[in-house]
Amino acid sequence: MSDRITLTLRAPLERALDAEVISVDHLAARSAQEISALRLWDGRHPVALGDVFSVSGERAQTVVLEGDLAKLHGVGSMMSAGALEIHGAIGNSVGARMQGGAIAVQGSAADDAGSAMSGGSLVIAGDVGDRAGGALQGAPKGMTGGHIIVRGSAGREAGARMRRGVLCCAAAGPFAGLGMIAGNIIVAGAIGDGVGAGNKRGSIVALGGVRVPHTYAYACTYRPPHLLLMLLFLRDRFALSVDDAHLHGLYKRYSGDLAEIGKGEILEWQAT
Amino acid sequence: MDIRGVQIDDTFAEAFGMRGVRIIITAKNQKWARESANKLTGFATSVIACKCEAAVERELAPSETPDGRPGISVLLFTMDSDSLPRRVIERIGQTVLTCPTTACFDGLPDSADRLAIGKPLRTFGDGFQASKMIDGQRYWRVPVMEGEFLIQETFGKAKGVGGGNFLILAESAEVALDAAEAAVDAMAGMPGVILPFPGGIVRSGSKVGAKKYKGMIASSNDAFAPTLRAITQTALPEGVNSVLEIVLDGLDFRSIAAAMQSGIDAACRAGVHSITAGNYGGKLGPYHFHLRKIMSGDLDDAPKADASKASAPA
Repeated sequence: MSDRITLTLRAPLERALDAEVISVDHLAARSAQEISALRLWDGRHPVALGDVFSVSGERAQTVVLEGDLAKLHGVGSMMSAGALEIHGAIGNSVGARMQGGAIAVQGSAADDAGSAMSGGSLVIAGDVGDRAGGALQGAPKGMTGGHIIVRGSAGREAGARMRRGVLCCAAAGPFAGLGMIAGNIIVAGAIGDGVGAGNKRGSIVALGGVRVPHTYAYACTYRPPHLLLMLLFLRDRFALSVDDAHLHGLYKRYSGDLAEIGKGEILEWQAT
Repeated sequence: MDIRGVQIDDTFAEAFGMRGVRIIITAKNQKWARESANKLTGFATSVIACKCEAAVERELAPSETPDGRPGISVLLFTMDSDSLPRRVIERIGQTVLTCPTTACFDGLPDSADRLAIGKPLRTFGDGFQASKMIDGQRYWRVPVMEGEFLIQETFGKAKGVGGGNFLILAESAEVALDAAEAAVDAMAGMPGVILPFPGGIVRSGSKVGAKKYKGMIASSNDAFAPTLRAITQTALPEGVNSVLEIVLDGLDFRSIAAAMQSGIDAACRAGVHSITAGNYGGKLGPYHFHLRKIMSGDLDDAPKADASKASAPA
């Protein structure tokens, strides 16, 4: 038994690999030899994990990945417990459908990070691609719980169709919160156009300004009491950069999307 | 036993099992948290007529509250589990929901026994309310004319102890009040304990039932009423002309015992003849606070029976 299992990339990846098997759930109870025998997929061709990674440690609740993993997709899928640390960039669908535990990516992540996740935390130090926290293709709901913290920027359609949970990012591309059912998106900086289009009950918090769509209507300027609680929690749990002006400041509330049921909102922080 | 010349009687206070919640009220400042808490705990001195007993436990610094604002913690107790949520809902609904700038949180987050409090109160929002999940807890945002009222969906319930008490027997009303005030000051802010009566002090300690009027649940404790010394079977020693009582409710035995220890010690001053306590012969309440054991530092007396089987006090 070790305190961690470390997978170190043997050589730069030339082709994309499906690596859904790399999650704490699959590795935690296995020996190094058993881990090496697990299969990754190159299209429809299996590849032994041990041929791609050198494996050290065994039977641990913490898994560490090292190397340029931008072509490694699906890491941490359906993870339910433990800690997964990724030292470098990671490919598509990291933490997709994860249910618990913690994934920390020290680099950037590609598309569909945390899509359809229902619990746990996914913290990405760099940027993410499109549809972070969104829905699997064709699915009606995006993330239904948990926390996605992106310290860099998110691409298009961040939090699209999300149902519950929290997605934070430093900036967001176009159509953040597209078709949001509920849940929370907090953006510290710029937000692209089309934010909250089709939003039903979701909350989008804009700390750095926002171009409010025409299908939202101004309600009032006030201090949302729940936001104080939520920002304090995020600051304490994830060291989110939130200052007192955000905690205690005034926010403009816009109700929308009025083309939908209109119970969603955009809360735009007002700099004094 | 005596403390600075004040006799500590060899007797015990007899207390009962209760059910309680801790309510955290936060507000823009301490003034508004206090305004709300004062209303919430109004007319909540005794279950005999108020249906619950409640008081401020202590003020909370911003660092101690869920939303980082000034706050107050309140303890509220009832005799049974069934009536507890009703009392809490009606009081929060009328005194916290209505009070400017307040929000309301559960103060017993580790309790597995949960009461739906914010959940029924949300309906004040008439369908415009919204919920938020934060750190695994659901909160309700209820729209009000001021803006929004935030309340936690569920509150923890705890088994508590009600009716801890001690009596201060003094040479005059002035001395009794001074000693009682000193006791209350010494107990103020002690965790897990409230003093539900006005200023923490009771002047009308009661006996069970009545000698003359049938149907009375409680009546004047004539044995301790100085004006009746000559015409009733008095319990007052010579030289005692006034008696005041301190009643304590708490979340557990030890919290009450610790508060009694501090309060009794503070009450032992010149002009006080003795400290005694009220009981029913030990037959009704499962919790017995023996004064001399407490003042000797033994605060861990176990309940004499299952608290859940306790009878209502009179």
